[in-house]
Order: sequence, then C-alpha cells, then structure tokens
Amino acid sequence: MIHALRTILLLTGKDLRIEARSRQTLGLVIVLGVLIIVVLGLGLGGETFSPPPPGDAQVAPVASAPASQPASAPATQVASAPASRAASAPAELAPTPQAGTGFAATAILWVAYLFGGVLCFEKTMAMERNDGAMAALLAAPIDHGVLFVAKLLSNLALIFVLVLVITPVAILLFNFDLSFAPWTFAGVTALSLIGFAAVGTLFAAATSSSRLAGGLLSVLIFPICLPVVVTSTKMLLSVFRDHQPLTSEGVGVLVAFDAVYLVVSWLAFERVLEP
Amino acid sequence: MSVVAASSNVVPASPGPAAPCAVQADKLALRLDDRTILKNVTLHLAPGTTLALLGANGAGKSTLLKVLAMLLHPTGGTLRLFGQPAGPLAGALRARLGIIAHQPMLYRDLTLTENLRFFGKLYGRSDTAARAAELLDRVGLSDRAGDLVKTLSRGMTQRVAIARALMHDPDLLLADEPFDGLDAPSVRTTENLLRGLREQGKTLIVSNHDVRQSLELADEVVVLRRGAVVLRAPAAQLTVESVLAEMTRA
Repeated sequence: MIHALRTILLLTGKDLRIEARSRQTLGLVIVLGVLIIVVLGLGLGGETFSPPPPGDAQVAPVASAPASQPASAPATQVASAPASRAASAPAELAPTPQAGTGFAATAILWVAYLFGGVLCFEKTMAMERNDGAMAALLAAPIDHGVLFVAKLLSNLALIFVLVLVITPVAILLFNFDLSFAPWTFAGVTALSLIGFAAVGTLFAAATSSSRLAGGLLSVLIFPICLPVVVTSTKMLLSVFRDHQPLTSEGVGVLVAFDAVYLVVSWLAFERVLEP
Repeated sequence: MSVVAASSNVVPASPGPAAPCAVQADKLALRLDDRTILKNVTLHLAPGTTLALLGANGAGKSTLLKVLAMLLHPTGGTLRLFGQPAGPLAGALRARLGIIAHQPMLYRDLTLTENLRFFGKLYGRSDTAARAAELLDRVGLSDRAGDLVKTLSRGMTQRVAIARALMHDPDLLLADEPFDGLDAPSVRTTENLLRGLREQGKTLIVSNHDVRQSLELADEVVVLRRGAVVLRAPAAQLTVESVLAEMTRA
C-alpha cells in the first residue's frame, strides 16, 4: 500500500514537474477556457447571479430540502436579476427569469470546464505517448491501477487550476456573486469534476494512440458525463439563481456517479493501455 | 551452446534442469487484426547468453521483443522467464527486464538525471542519484546530466535510453536496434557497454540490422523470417553471407 502511494506520488510529481516546466497544457487550457467564457458571455449579453434578498431562503451547505422543489424559481425569487439589462431591452425581448437567467452562466462555465478538461486529458496522455514513455511505464513493475490514479490526480490538479483561473473571469463577466455560498459552489464543482476527470483519464488512455485522439475524446466523454453536468448545473442553478438550499439528494447523485465512474474507469484502464 | 531457438522445423534442446532458462518461449504465436505476426516461435535461452536477433524489416523482431517484455500478450504458446510464467501480473519478473526500443522512452522535458532517477525509483531503487551519475558516465554524457532530453541529438538520446534501461540493473536486457542513429564513437561505447553486461553474466537479446556486428557481439544468432524462426546457430559457426541468405530467402 505504501509502495503504491509512493509510486502514485512519483508519477503525479513527474507529470506536474513537466507541466510546471513546459507550461504547455495549462497555457493552452486557460486561454481556451477564458476565450469560451468571454466569447459566449459577450454573445449572450451576460447573465447575472445575485445573493438572495434579505429574508429570502438561506443557503445551507447541505440541507435535506424537499426534492420536489421546482428547478425554475418564481419570478419573485429572482427579483435581483439584471435590472439594468432588463430596463434597457425592449419588454418583449427581455429574457424571462425562468427561461434564461443564470442558466447561461452555469452552462458556459461547464462548457469551459469540459473543453478545458478534455485538453488536459489529451495533453497529459500525449506526454506519455511522445517518445514511447508509456511503454516504459507498462514494462515497469507497477500496478496499472496505480498508473490510473496517478494520471487522474495529475488531471485533477490541472483542471482545478483551470477552475481557479476561469471562474473569477465568469464572476466578473456575469456578476456571478458566490459570496453567499462559496463552499457550496466549490463542493459541487469539485464533486462533478472528479467524475468527469475519471472518465476523461480512461478515454484519453484509450484514444491516445488514435490519429483522431482529440475529437474522438470529446465525442466519447461528453455524452457519458452528461448526467454529472446536468446534475451539477441544476444544483448550482437551484442555489445561486433560485436561492434554494443544497439538497442531500443532489449531492448523493453526484457522489454516486463519481463512485461509478471512478471504479469502472479504474477497472477498465488496464485493458485500454497500449505500449 | 547455451541457446536453443527453434521453429517448427527445428528441434529444441531441453534446458538443463539446474538453472532455469532466462527465456523459455514455446510455440509463441501472435495474431493482430487477422494478420499473423509471430508463428510457432520456440526459444530457450540460458542465463548469461547474448542472442542476436536478425531478420529483414517486418520479420517480427520488434514484436517478438515486445512479447518477451510482456508488453504484448501472445495469442498462442507459453512464455516463462527465469522459470516463472510471464503475464500481465508478473510484476516481480518485470523488475528483472530492461528494454531498449526504437523510441527512447524518455520524457523530453525532464533532464537526463531526472529521467534516470524517475525510472530508477519506479523500479524501487534507493540509490538513484549515484546510479544515474555512474550510468551517465558510462555512456559519456556526464557533462549533459542537467540538460533537458529535448536538447540532445538523436544519438545522445539513444545513449540516455540505454542508461535508462540499465538503471535498475536488469538480468535480461531486450534491445531493439540499440545502435540505431548512433555515430561511430557512440556505437563503440554501446558495444563496450553490451560486452560489459555480458561479462557480468547478464542475458542479452539484441535485434540488429548489422549482421557482421551481431556475429561479433553475440554467442548465438536467431534469424526470423515472416514471424518464424528460420535459423538458429552459434555465432561462431555462421558467416555474414549465410545469415544474409537466410534473411532474404523467398
């Protein structure tokens, strides 16, 4: 066990050292993430999230709220939606809170996480493919499950740096006020990204020897991660747009998906590796 | 002599009961995408032997080395290394193998020392700094120890790859064209390295295109043609012409 942990640290440390030295992956991923947020944000005109009005429902870290709570809140609950924008737009063109407010910001953030993440997965695996280093790892006396965990940790580290950089951009652009539940946002995002990274690590290994690696990876990962993305988006909307408390059911769904993705990816990883 | 390799038309000698064969491959076969890559390859190799693996391009030399390195799993036959069955779970056996391939198997954004120490630690060595320094000295690259691999020439990279393969002091070295891309002084350095390993009692399997060099370096020669062993003999009994004739026979 200690040997496995030491090997995981060795492998992850190697990945991060290479990344810190070359900055190839992070440079690309961050530029891509920021571009996605800015382009889509400008295109959609910028939605806003705001803290709950005084006396409105308080957001608890995790509460057992009724699962039947509607996803789209009544108009009174989003009274603080973009007043300036609504005022400047013709009445018939102004988005209704139920239809658009907040959804765009959460969705755009996820689009940036997804595409940035795919680039991370692709690049960290390409590092092993270049010059045949993967064959040297496969020939070494290490468990291939250890390889999976190490690569997953490397990917997660890169994705969390991506999140740390591009989320503030979204906060600025969308007036996305996280101050009333920052840990809720961090928790939901982290839980979602763990499952996403597990699937991404598996499929990056499976497709890395293909000429279609990049495009193929997106096509394979996005549908599989859809449940996590949808659940996460709904939870964030519920908290930040509708000002509802975080439900334990939602967290449970994310944890369940994470567990399934992690175990299946870990088991399948060995079968998709090629020297 | 200590090596016996045979195809279906050559009767393999049985290995001595005292020391287990370093390599004991029986009727190895490999089919990939409905194509036969290896067929009926039998190879018994005693510890301490140097075997030259010869054959034209596409004869199956690299594939056979990958199978022996447990990087590819044969679709037929059995493989035992040092008396133990080889397979995906043979972690301890992997620690006894060193591999030199067409690609250097190095990280170009790490320095020479970082690469060697990384692979040394992966094999559980604790004295990686000293071992890396010793090997870099042996391949004549001590002065470049702190440089990134991507700054090296092709030949220098190949020498680092040889050092990487020796980091954990393997008992069996599988070298796929180790002289590829090397200049004349580097070829001499590598030849001396291989001779040194042979004198230490290591088992070597070296694939090579240079027949004359192979006959000088090896104890035994095996020629592969279309995935099958067509010739095996002690190197001393062979001439360049006879080997070339076997390699190119239709």
